[in-house]
Amino acid sequence: MSEQPETGSHSESDATEDEAHHGGSIKTYVLVFLALCLLTTASFFTYSEFWREHFSTQAGWAFMMAVSCTKALLVVLFFMHLLYEANWKYVLTIPTIFMSIFLVLMLIPDVGMRMNRASEERLRHMAIEHVTDEHAAETTASEDNSAVHSAKEEHP
Amino acid sequence: MSDEHHGHIQLRYHPGMPMSNGKTCMWLFLSTEIMFFAGLIGTYIVLRFGAPSWPLPHEVHLSEPIGAFNTFVLICSSVTVVLALEAARVNRVGQAKGWIAATLLLGCVFLGVKAYEYQAKFSHGIYPQKPHSLIYEKPDLAYASMVRQTLEAHQVRLASAGNPSTDEQDQLAVTGTLLRHFARPAELTAAQSGNQQGQVVLNRLAAAIMPHGDQMPVQRKLLKQEKQELEKRRDGLDAKLSPLRMQQKELKSRGQENAATEEQLSELNKKIATLGGEAIEVEGRLNAITILAGADHGLNEKYHWLHLPMVIPGGNMWASTYFLLTGFHALHVLVGLIVFALYLFIRLDRERAPHIEYIGLYWHFVDLVWIFLFPLLYLF
Repeated sequence: MSEQPETGSHSESDATEDEAHHGGSIKTYVLVFLALCLLTTASFFTYSEFWREHFSTQAGWAFMMAVSCTKALLVVLFFMHLLYEANWKYVLTIPTIFMSIFLVLMLIPDVGMRMNRASEERLRHMAIEHVTDEHAAETTASEDNSAVHSAKEEHP
Repeated sequence: MSDEHHGHIQLRYHPGMPMSNGKTCMWLFLSTEIMFFAGLIGTYIVLRFGAPSWPLPHEVHLSEPIGAFNTFVLICSSVTVVLALEAARVNRVGQAKGWIAATLLLGCVFLGVKAYEYQAKFSHGIYPQKPHSLIYEKPDLAYASMVRQTLEAHQVRLASAGNPSTDEQDQLAVTGTLLRHFARPAELTAAQSGNQQGQVVLNRLAAAIMPHGDQMPVQRKLLKQEKQELEKRRDGLDAKLSPLRMQQKELKSRGQENAATEEQLSELNKKIATLGGEAIEVEGRLNAITILAGADHGLNEKYHWLHLPMVIPGGNMWASTYFLLTGFHALHVLVGLIVFALYLFIRLDRERAPHIEYIGLYWHFVDLVWIFLFPLLYLF
């Protein structure tokens, strides 16, 4: 009597295992691995001279995030077998993804834009901005005057 | 058999979801983990792009190739876990154990590289918190006085050392020159002059200790200019001093014949003293410039033992976020490694395949987090 349900569940888990096995073969894993390696090198592409000449830094960031999302998708779908799972996967993944994105969006006005309308007191204690190329050129051209000028800009 | 059960309702356990409890739990756990890391990474993104300034990777000693290597290591370990699972499913016990051992090894390599990276940061005074951290947000008076105090502490330490080695003697000389002709004058000028003029001096002080990219050529040019001016001044002083010294000699050789010569001599001595003092000052500053010009990539880089406070705008926020994110990730790796180490003592057959699957899910998630952390921390 007690044997029967156990064997029943056993056969069922075997069935799901077989199902999972059906999707992912060693060949698939090797292909995914190669794709992941290729994508990792691809994010270095943004460092090339070609990229700097033709695209902006922001485009580089977007590209790298796209590469990361693709890699994540490959890992989740193949290594974590989500591709071969039943529909429960949507119940778990969609709310979490929504909440993750929502969290970041919620933080933007609070933390991300905190310096946009900061008080003078706060600005006085913030980190100085990086010296840009133009500033460096100015400083060399006419020594102190422009340096004083840039200092004035930094400290309103 | 069917006769025996005739008339009875046959009860059969039907799971709520078409998967084992272990897998359900692992996925539920992972979804909370996704939220956890989404919170951390999201906060990092928002802080990083909301920051007025953010350090460049090489300023905080981040090496992109090392990060990329670690990414590769984690990807490889993900593959080995998958292969272990496949081997266990077809009951190849030895193979499964081999792949788990490989995963353990790769995870250890990842942590080792991570430890090496942390060490590189710690040795450069990059910590998430004072008092170890040498990071200052901007070159202000507090910064200048901290530079001076550090040099003074070095001087006291080196001077009080009993029979110092040649290395220590050199260090003492460098410290003394930098203190007298570099840090103290800069602090004094900044404190006495107005806001803007003082800021220029402080900026140069910070740039000499740790130049930020484009500051390097500017610094070199300014030092060259100052050196030329000082050399001119030194030559001028020498030209003035040598006839005076001759005169002094002459008067001395004549001896104290009368009160007039004595008075003349004392006046001459006073003149020579002031001019000589100026010459020593100029000579000292020239020595300091030689030291500064020799340290092209900053004093901290050339004289590693100096450990001077350095200005890295946004460096403190960077250190906090970097160590928090990578630290939590490394903790997750460590937990995974502990489980893999325990699995080495278990027979990994078909029965155990689900267990490998659960830890595999966790391990892939850890890999996933690194896939996002690597570009965000190293490449952005």
